[in-house]
Amino acid sequence: MRDAARFRSRMMRHIRSFFDERSYLEVDTPILSPTLIPESTIENFATRFDNPFLPSQELYLVPSPEVYMKRLIADGWGSLYQISHCFRNSEQVGANHNPEFTMLEYYTVEADEQDSILITEELFAALADKDTPDHLRPPFSHLTVAEATWVNTGIDLEDHQRQISLAAEARRLGLSVPDERESWQETFNRIFLTFVEPNLPQEKPLVLDRYPAQIECLAMQEGAWRRRWELYGGGVELANCYNEERRLQKIEGYYSNEYARLIEKRSRNGMPIPDIDVDFARIIAAMPPVSGVAMGLDRLQMLLMGRQSLDEVLLFPLSRILGDTGG
Amino acid sequence: MIKAGQIEKGTALLIKGQPFIVVDREFVNPGKGSAFVRLKLKSPSTGQVLQETMKSQDNAEDIVVADRDCQYLYNDGESFHLMLTDTFEQIEVPMATFPDYEFLMKDGETYRCTFWESQLLEIQIPPKVVYLVAEAEEAVKGDTVQGATKYVTTETGLKVRVPIFIKQGEKIRVNTETREYIERVNN
Repeated sequence: MRDAARFRSRMMRHIRSFFDERSYLEVDTPILSPTLIPESTIENFATRFDNPFLPSQELYLVPSPEVYMKRLIADGWGSLYQISHCFRNSEQVGANHNPEFTMLEYYTVEADEQDSILITEELFAALADKDTPDHLRPPFSHLTVAEATWVNTGIDLEDHQRQISLAAEARRLGLSVPDERESWQETFNRIFLTFVEPNLPQEKPLVLDRYPAQIECLAMQEGAWRRRWELYGGGVELANCYNEERRLQKIEGYYSNEYARLIEKRSRNGMPIPDIDVDFARIIAAMPPVSGVAMGLDRLQMLLMGRQSLDEVLLFPLSRILGDTGG
Repeated sequence: MIKAGQIEKGTALLIKGQPFIVVDREFVNPGKGSAFVRLKLKSPSTGQVLQETMKSQDNAEDIVVADRDCQYLYNDGESFHLMLTDTFEQIEVPMATFPDYEFLMKDGETYRCTFWESQLLEIQIPPKVVYLVAEAEEAVKGDTVQGATKYVTTETGLKVRVPIFIKQGEKIRVNTETREYIERVNN
């Protein structure tokens, strides 16, 4: 494991000098937060602050540092980056997942998601050395979700904007879509996860760009699509980038819809329901134009080292800490 | 019925009326989306491989399978003939269902078999089996290159690549999944 630790230490130094040379400010924001940005699909870890003089308060381990970084950006701090531990509950512990993981998050002001592709490509070039596998070396290849879906399934997503018609396409491909009503995005994910994601080209890092607008998030919408991409390396999801939404009405709409979905889902599965800060919508809306990238550094290290599992790069993966009972 | 999240490798499911065995299962969380289970299933009767992705909360129709011992009698070129050792009932399954099993199974040997009701879903060949070398080429004289190999044929007709020192009449242990030689077995 010592070679993995040395590799990581060097990788962290390269990342820091990359952003320092480009005048991004490194920040170090808290891991505990009293409120989160609502995300119904990410389960949270909750803990409690007990104080003899005040009522106890529930706090959450952040699933991403954005809840703090966006405040600084709205305050005019310019481009920022952070390397921090993040926490996601209820995900499988395995080759590509550990509930506690290290995220690199970088926000570039006065930039959009296409600029972020170039910056990320430069970062990969800076990290590459003679041992770097080809599938992690720039230049990146580029596909839109619509193209990748069309190539692998013959479905033109623009023609199937209603769930009923998309479900009919999914059944034509042999998938069992239950008769109960489900959302367009759930039907899309069945198709995407079965036929598209496993067949994405893997020779080069791949930017999968422009996700369907029905997948609601805080990335700017443009027609049927959102200005957002994910980066795959060797078939593994490595990073996610948004052209950050700044229109107050859109952000408030997202907050209320997503929080309703979150409460509906968590009251069924009994997981913690984090508090949200409705004023945060105004803070996000005050940001300058900005594009943010979140990158999983444990996965990046695993791929750069040509390893197959996070267990081979994490010094203490949760599965080992807990023993076999940890799943 | 079981929730898709509880499906494991080896679970038997009924899909569109046909029994399938789960050969691979993976949990996937799309970037923005609920948890899914990606399955690879195999139909024991046709060998057809199916890919399916279900939400963890979806219901799946699982079927109860049971293991029973069967003695392998012979094949007639079209079908395998087996006998249930507890009832002496004879069954016949098309050889195409279990491709290449004629080279792995030994006449008269008893195998654990997986049944769903009366349908034979799988013949469980042990992962390592000892075979007799029925035919072996003579090693070429003077061929002393390290790691030199040759092909031999077992009593079941399986062709295996072995080290050059293996002779006809000797016994070898073979990995039945990869069909690769493991070691020589001394009596």
